[in-house]
Amino acid sequence: MSSLTQSSSSTPSYSSGVPSSAAHYRQPPAAAGGAGDFFDLGDILASQQRVPAQFEQTVYRLGFLDAQSSGEHIQSGAKMELPLWLARALGGRRRNIVRIDLPKQYRQQQRDILRADANVVDLFKQGPYFYLMGVKLLFFDHMERSDLAKSLLETFLNRFRRIMDTSHHAFSSDVTMFTTRLDETERVLFHIGQRSVAAMEKWERGRSHRIEASDVVQKRRKRKRED
Amino acid sequence: MEPAEVEFLAEKEQITIVPNFSENKLYLISGEFGPFNPSMQTRVPLWLAINLRQRQKCHIVPPDWLNVDYLTEKKSEEAAESFFTAMPSPNYMEVSSLVLNNAAEDVPKADEVRTLVKDIWDLRQAKLKKGVDQMISQQETFAKLDNLTLMEMNCIRPFLTAALDHLHLLHNHATSYTSSQAD
Repeated sequence: MSSLTQSSSSTPSYSSGVPSSAAHYRQPPAAAGGAGDFFDLGDILASQQRVPAQFEQTVYRLGFLDAQSSGEHIQSGAKMELPLWLARALGGRRRNIVRIDLPKQYRQQQRDILRADANVVDLFKQGPYFYLMGVKLLFFDHMERSDLAKSLLETFLNRFRRIMDTSHHAFSSDVTMFTTRLDETERVLFHIGQRSVAAMEKWERGRSHRIEASDVVQKRRKRKRED
Repeated sequence: MEPAEVEFLAEKEQITIVPNFSENKLYLISGEFGPFNPSMQTRVPLWLAINLRQRQKCHIVPPDWLNVDYLTEKKSEEAAESFFTAMPSPNYMEVSSLVLNNAAEDVPKADEVRTLVKDIWDLRQAKLKKGVDQMISQQETFAKLDNLTLMEMNCIRPFLTAALDHLHLLHNHATSYTSSQAD
């Protein structure tokens, strides 16, 4: 039965807010392995986030990458924000061309806030893919790596109850205030939860046998009348 | 699964009806039913009973658990226990909803029965959520959920499996990097 939801996730849908009945279930991004899912859009977007990096070697003829300097080469010691996928290639365990710093939202100070009360933090603002990017940052040989890994896990554990309760109970009330504070992965979870409650509600009212027009069609008709 | 699919499975359950027509035995894939004689009780699958009831061809005899006395007792038992109690039917929600929606006149005090079933459902849902939360927050690897019905599982399954997948990812990293540092 879970394979049913998995197979339908190959078409990602971008319905935000009220889940429409026609939309497929969305899987949380990168459910498998640390390397991430190659075809997962969330995973691709997460690897585009920028991380602060410092060059340890001089890189020739790539000076145009740095908007701040007009030199032909990138000098060793230059600081720059690199996308995660590039930083990963340059700052891997063997090639030490760049050194990576943790982005602000993953540093000690922010981790302390998350430990104090993870529920009040706006994770969407911390980068829409907070967990995914956090997991990707673990790739780098960083001093605080194990702390970061623990912090990510604890944050999710603390926030879990709230997501579950809200997605299962606040069915008819306005939850946008709550969902704007969720990271993308949590949002997907939230909508999955809401969809099963919505289906249940529909069944209880005896409307699951009725064939209804798709939302898209109904909206389109309305627009035509205005013309 | 959609709740409607769960309902479809539940319609295989047998129920007693009192027909008001005469008919020979019916030979179906799931077995032989009948013969049907006016005011003679007989057992048929729920889907057949609902179909006959909709055409005013029979009365449904509600299952022996679908009455106020039994359900009141069940409700207090469910509230007292911290684990799930065994339900009289593995499809109690579907059966009661089908019978009450299609043959409310055949069930005495139908409204009260409906409320009680819903109360029991809510009690069990609250218990299920509490259990899930406990399992997640204490990072248990398994949970024993006896006597949980299909409809109840179906309600939480998509959410829980997705949440556990995500948790697994984070957990793997947390353990692998903590241990690699200790080496």
